[in-house]
Amino acid sequence: MMTVTMRPRWPALAVALLLAGGAAAAVGGRADTDPVSGPKRYDGRFVFARIRYADGYAGGRFAGRPDLFWAHDYPRAEQNLMRILEDLTLINPYLGRDGGAILKLDDPALFTYPFAYMSEPGYWRPSEAETVGLRNYLLKGGFLIFDDFRDDHWFNLEAQMRKVFPDLRWVELDATHPVYHSFFGIDSLEFDEPMYAPSIPIFYGLFEDNDPAGRLLSVANYNNDIGEYWEFDGTGWLSIDLTNEAYKLGVNYIMYALTH
Amino acid sequence: MFESLFEFLFKYRPLVFEEGDLTFRPTAVTYLAALAVVAAGVVTLRTYQRVRANSRPLDRAVLTGIRFTILALLLLCLFRPVLVLSRIVPQQNFLAVLVDDSRSMQIADREGQTRADFVTQQFGSAESSVLAALADRFALRLFSFSSSTDRIEAVGDLAYDGTQTHLGQALTRAHEELAGVPLSGLVVVSDGADNADDPLGDALLPLQAAGVPVFTVGLGREEYARDIQLSRVETPRSVLKGAALVVDVVVAQTGYRGQTVSLQVEDEGRIVADQEVTLPDDGEPTTVRVRFTAADAGPRLFSFRIAPEPDEMVTQNNVRHALIVVEDTREKILYFEGEPRWEVKFLRRAVEDDENLQLKVLQRTAEGKVMRLNVDDADDLLEFPRTREELFGYRALILGSIEASYFTPDQLRMIADFVSERGGGLLMLGGQRSYAEGGYAGTPVADVLPVVLDERDADGEGGFFRETDVRPTRAGETHPSTQIADTEEASAARWLELPPITLVNAISDVKPGATTLLTSGDESLVVLAFQRYGAGKSLAFPVQDSWMWQMHADIPVDDQTHEILWRRLLRWLVDGVPDQVVADMPKDRVELDETVRLNAEVDDASYEEINTSQVSAWITDPDDELIEVPLDWTADQDGEYAASFTPSKEGLYEVRIEATTDGELLGSDTAYFRVAPSDSEYYDSTMRAPLLERVAEETGGRFYTADTIGSLVDDIQTVGGGVTVIEERDLWDMPALLFLLFILVLGEWGYRRARGLA
Repeated sequence: MMTVTMRPRWPALAVALLLAGGAAAAVGGRADTDPVSGPKRYDGRFVFARIRYADGYAGGRFAGRPDLFWAHDYPRAEQNLMRILEDLTLINPYLGRDGGAILKLDDPALFTYPFAYMSEPGYWRPSEAETVGLRNYLLKGGFLIFDDFRDDHWFNLEAQMRKVFPDLRWVELDATHPVYHSFFGIDSLEFDEPMYAPSIPIFYGLFEDNDPAGRLLSVANYNNDIGEYWEFDGTGWLSIDLTNEAYKLGVNYIMYALTH
Repeated sequence: MFESLFEFLFKYRPLVFEEGDLTFRPTAVTYLAALAVVAAGVVTLRTYQRVRANSRPLDRAVLTGIRFTILALLLLCLFRPVLVLSRIVPQQNFLAVLVDDSRSMQIADREGQTRADFVTQQFGSAESSVLAALADRFALRLFSFSSSTDRIEAVGDLAYDGTQTHLGQALTRAHEELAGVPLSGLVVVSDGADNADDPLGDALLPLQAAGVPVFTVGLGREEYARDIQLSRVETPRSVLKGAALVVDVVVAQTGYRGQTVSLQVEDEGRIVADQEVTLPDDGEPTTVRVRFTAADAGPRLFSFRIAPEPDEMVTQNNVRHALIVVEDTREKILYFEGEPRWEVKFLRRAVEDDENLQLKVLQRTAEGKVMRLNVDDADDLLEFPRTREELFGYRALILGSIEASYFTPDQLRMIADFVSERGGGLLMLGGQRSYAEGGYAGTPVADVLPVVLDERDADGEGGFFRETDVRPTRAGETHPSTQIADTEEASAARWLELPPITLVNAISDVKPGATTLLTSGDESLVVLAFQRYGAGKSLAFPVQDSWMWQMHADIPVDDQTHEILWRRLLRWLVDGVPDQVVADMPKDRVELDETVRLNAEVDDASYEEINTSQVSAWITDPDDELIEVPLDWTADQDGEYAASFTPSKEGLYEVRIEATTDGELLGSDTAYFRVAPSDSEYYDSTMRAPLLERVAEETGGRFYTADTIGSLVDDIQTVGGGVTVIEERDLWDMPALLFLLFILVLGEWGYRRARGLA
């Protein structure tokens, strides 16, 4: 079991965000109707799909751009995670500068990418079309990670997901679930996340037919922000051990999604 | 008609001329008369030479010719031409009369009378006309024949309930029984609906050699006025439970052309398919493809039936039965995927609810690292099998995007042997590491694949890429593995609606003998093809993302196309894959007391034939009594064992064949057969004149119908063998000669009148 505790170095993080803001600024200025990023055409490679949603504007500016909740950690988080996939596994990922595709839940192109990631679901309020889109996506075989949210944001996620699947209930996951052993062996989920402290990270899963032995449709990294660790890998601002754990989680989620 | 006219003109029937030798019987008076005729000729010639009058040379030539022809005819008659015949001596010879005792004789296709009625009229009692005439001349021996041949005392007692007609066997039996006595011939009274397995020619050879003619009397019509028949139904012996069966039914008819009828399939009385059939032209069979699901496990008797029409002449041939063993087993399939990609997830999901398929997945996730899914235990499938025994434990193997160099040369050979020797099914998916791109060209696996691999394509990633729609070929529209909707038409249409997939393997050619089922939209690339290879089969499906047919935005959430496709593909792949012990019985229906041959093929775990195994058949009869029958190695073929068994009860028999070596069970297999009366007599039950004509012709006999039977007795006397006497028949008094003379005299008179000659 590995438990890592680390205190955040906020000033350094702020500088890093400023420096890394270039690519993110391009996204920050994007309107909902802008074309999606990602590969020019589907070519069979694995593509990281980031979900963008309306009303995701925090109402201020961060690092010189509008602070869009859905774009948190973009694009370095996915860029780094895809490089890890390329280096450690035999997955053939898309390695473009944008790190993956950015898609709305009601975009038909989303169905080409069965693995998706949503940041800050505390601010997510899907339209009817997006609700239907997500329901279809997950029922057909898609897999969605919710990340970077805390405390009472949970209630929004729960409420929105109830619109998608009125009968499904979130179940707390433990380290014995196959998702935590699909590539790396993760023996503990005691993830001592410093940025959201004192809130304790909990991993929730949504199962098909509410059957914990069945297919996992979605995982919510509550009180956690593993995308943050992917993003700041190699900068020295965040704990290497925690970054490693975040990568392990990311790779395992993807490997599980590809095989289950 | 022709024969009657011939007999009127020439005094005897053509057969008499065929059999007799022409000769002349002149006497001394004949020569004197001949001299007189010659003298008359000379006088005639001189007279015509002298006479001039108003005649031309042509007139004289014509009249001289006519007169000489008349004189020549008279001369011919004076020399008394005769036919010399060899005629049998009455009551000195034996004659066998063989009467067909089978059910088809009960068919009433002769002006409301059955074929049996005719037999009763002509042969039924001592007073019957033909029998009485025969009895006057021959010592008769009567036989009845159907599936067996028996001596009988009288024809009138026959029940006509035989379930088969074995004509060859009947001829042999009668011939053997009458060996050593003067035998004039055999008379066969039958509709000719022979349904024996043995070739008829074998029975005719001894008759030809012994010079025994067979006189065949064909009963019934050669074509029914109104009849519908299920001529043939081809079903597999066994299928996996839940299998979607596509069965060809051959329907023939006369008198109902263009009419639409309903073809129903029943599973033990429950209707599982109901298909409309538009009946074809008279006498031209059509193949109807019906689909149904084998939902219940066990030996199931399926019936294929078209409801009889009110005025059909034979209604018993509207139904066919087929015994299909529906296996409720779990077939093991190994899917080895060389790179993590979406096919694994979606293929697993597609078949996870199919209880008869166990898809074990070995997923390579990184170099030297694999993930195992659906394995039996912690030690199962730690790596790709290295021994034949381990690999051959599977029924089918799916190779995903895994390069050929991952395997050792021995493993590549083993994969090829898995198909050719073990009889397994191989499916290769598309991907950057499969086919030529994966370096398979020139390997033993390439030999197995149904497609041609181009070595130039092995240039690694980033080469070929094509997004394409998919369309079924004509074979693909009907093949069981590609049926993705309820009907053939709906399936073909559905293929054209599916969203595009992508190909990274440039495959455009299949091998000779392979069948292409799906192509790219422009038909330039192979999307699905198969071939039989050795004992097994291989499928090439060079698509890297069939999961699009599940996930694509255009596919409705509850659409089952992807699931149906994969279940059918994998079920087809494992269909017919043998076990180590295979029970094989030539027939699944036999008659009571008919001997059943039990065959078994026995292999060891690496599918090498074994000749030293102890093999037993445990037969459970309809009353649940268990009988053990040991099987012996046949010595004809390695691994082949056989025994015989004669059932004594009607009903279903279960045959479980077990093979052991050194006390250890190698394997077992279960087969079934049923003991029931055959209904084969009602199929193709029209009178088969060509067969009966052939029997007569090849043995020197004659063929008769109900209308020509009148000459039978006389013909046998003329043609038949045995004790004979020489008989001469005069020809000089043939009416034809008289008519000819008359015509010539009349001709001469007419010519003179026309030319104004004296």
